[in-house]
Amino acid sequence: MNYIIHLIIMIAIYLILTLGLNLVVGFGGLLSICQAVFYGIGAYATTLLMMKVGVGFMAAVLLSVLITGIFALAIGIPALKFRGDPFVLVTLGFQAIVFTILYNWVELTRGPYGIPGIPRPSIAGYEVTELPEYLILTSLFAGVIIIFLVIIYRSPFGLALKALRDDEMAAEGLGKPPFYLFLGAFVISGMVASVAGSLYATYVTYIDPTSFTLDESIFLLVILLVGGTGNLKGPVVGTVFLILLPEALRFLGLPDTIAPNVRQILYGLIIVAFMFLRPRGIAGEFKLR
Amino acid sequence: MTLLLQLLVNAVCNAAIYALLAIGFGLIYRSLRFFNIGFGAVYVIASYVVIALSETFGIPLFASIPLGIFAGILSSILIDRLVFSPLEGYGAPTGVLLVASLGVYIAIVNLIALIFGNEIKIITKGMEPSFTIGPIIVTRIQIAQILIGWTGAILFWLSIRKNTLVKAIWAMGIAPELVIALGLPYKRMRAIVFSLSALFAAAASIITTLDVGIDPHVGMGALLTGAVAVIVGGVNFYWGWVSGASLIALLQAIGVWLFSAKWNELITFGILIITLIFRPDGIFSPKRRAEER
Repeated sequence: MNYIIHLIIMIAIYLILTLGLNLVVGFGGLLSICQAVFYGIGAYATTLLMMKVGVGFMAAVLLSVLITGIFALAIGIPALKFRGDPFVLVTLGFQAIVFTILYNWVELTRGPYGIPGIPRPSIAGYEVTELPEYLILTSLFAGVIIIFLVIIYRSPFGLALKALRDDEMAAEGLGKPPFYLFLGAFVISGMVASVAGSLYATYVTYIDPTSFTLDESIFLLVILLVGGTGNLKGPVVGTVFLILLPEALRFLGLPDTIAPNVRQILYGLIIVAFMFLRPRGIAGEFKLR
Repeated sequence: MTLLLQLLVNAVCNAAIYALLAIGFGLIYRSLRFFNIGFGAVYVIASYVVIALSETFGIPLFASIPLGIFAGILSSILIDRLVFSPLEGYGAPTGVLLVASLGVYIAIVNLIALIFGNEIKIITKGMEPSFTIGPIIVTRIQIAQILIGWTGAILFWLSIRKNTLVKAIWAMGIAPELVIALGLPYKRMRAIVFSLSALFAAAASIITTLDVGIDPHVGMGALLTGAVAVIVGGVNFYWGWVSGASLIALLQAIGVWLFSAKWNELITFGILIITLIFRPDGIFSPKRRAEER
């Protein structure tokens, strides 16, 4: 039972991440590979605020969102001067840079040793310690964020992003400023990822930089490419599918030493197959360019 | 000061390797216009074939190295025939090719990790013979790196100038539609692009492995170094690739001297982002008129 609850909590955290990234990849049509950066900054900011400054959980979450937003702005402004391959490269560059900083700035982040003993979240004096309580907490957060994102998806802002994605010049001609709209999407997606980071850090109570690598960013992108982007159901299908897939593989009885590699091989082959058969993903509406 | 001199000598060696990577990556990126992450997989395959042949079957290095290079070339062409060519036949856009190549990379690298394990493998054991020139120490493998890297760069430059087919491959990046119109052998040119790219990848890979060993996940780093060198130097300017590679190696050496080797990635990608913002055509690319863009 605990195992199933754990899986649902992980799905909730990843739903926040992928639905946020969906705004950039699916609505904006921009392949961003630095979502793990914002996830990581959120996790580290929350942890450090709670442990070093002694801020409460809710305040730490909100402050982390703010801090991550500033980072997203700083990364988005140079990155969004580009489209296509150069955009992918710049976001990839920032992914590598932030990871190097998290890994090597040992005085602040303890680098590869990670930060153990992160305090559990407590809201209005009530400390969340048991697994079912975590389930309620993460579901609440995920629920609020998903409602917020769906409102954005359907708002004029979301529609304008779609218009820019499909024909940037025409949409710009209709008075939609691409740079500011894309920047807005990028920053919102970063801020949302920060909340996922806060939840992850306080749930696992231990973080180290290896949770926020390039591979993690690629994994999030793979979820979107497999599930589909540009709507609500695509990322949901992708997240549930790719979080549960390794668990299903576990029942095949592969030894632990080779299981991660087999899983990765499968991811690779699935991506190639999807590029051939269905470049819009299982339930997506945006076809990759 | 001695330290700086030594670091600069090391930078020249690294520059040679980076130049090979840049040429290997740039060939596909420029002439076929897509960002091929599968290049990183080819890089890893070549070295692991050498390791498998020399360790498991006891074949001496002088025989297993050519076989490793051959395996790299073969896998590069196979990946193109099985994945990229058919995708292009469907009219796949570059984003799809990029993501498909990412899938190929992930699958191959993890297959290798499955067979050989995730830890570092080393071929040469014991101390590498070295030469002392004044205060500087140069190892035998470093000399080989410089020789192979710079000969490769110059030979390729000569073939762009002299060989008609390579010249056509170089031109293909500017006007791909002309290849068909002029009746040039597109399929053969594509095969040549992929095999040359693999040749450079394999050379860089094997010589680095002989020096410091290899683990299955270094392909991505190698690919990105090559890609950054090409883009920093200027995609459309051959010596820009080589200069980009040298610039990265030089700044990394200065970074090691001033701070520490752990910030190398920060330097590489810092150069990339600064270049893309201020000189998106590349630092070393010749100035172009507005109507040429």
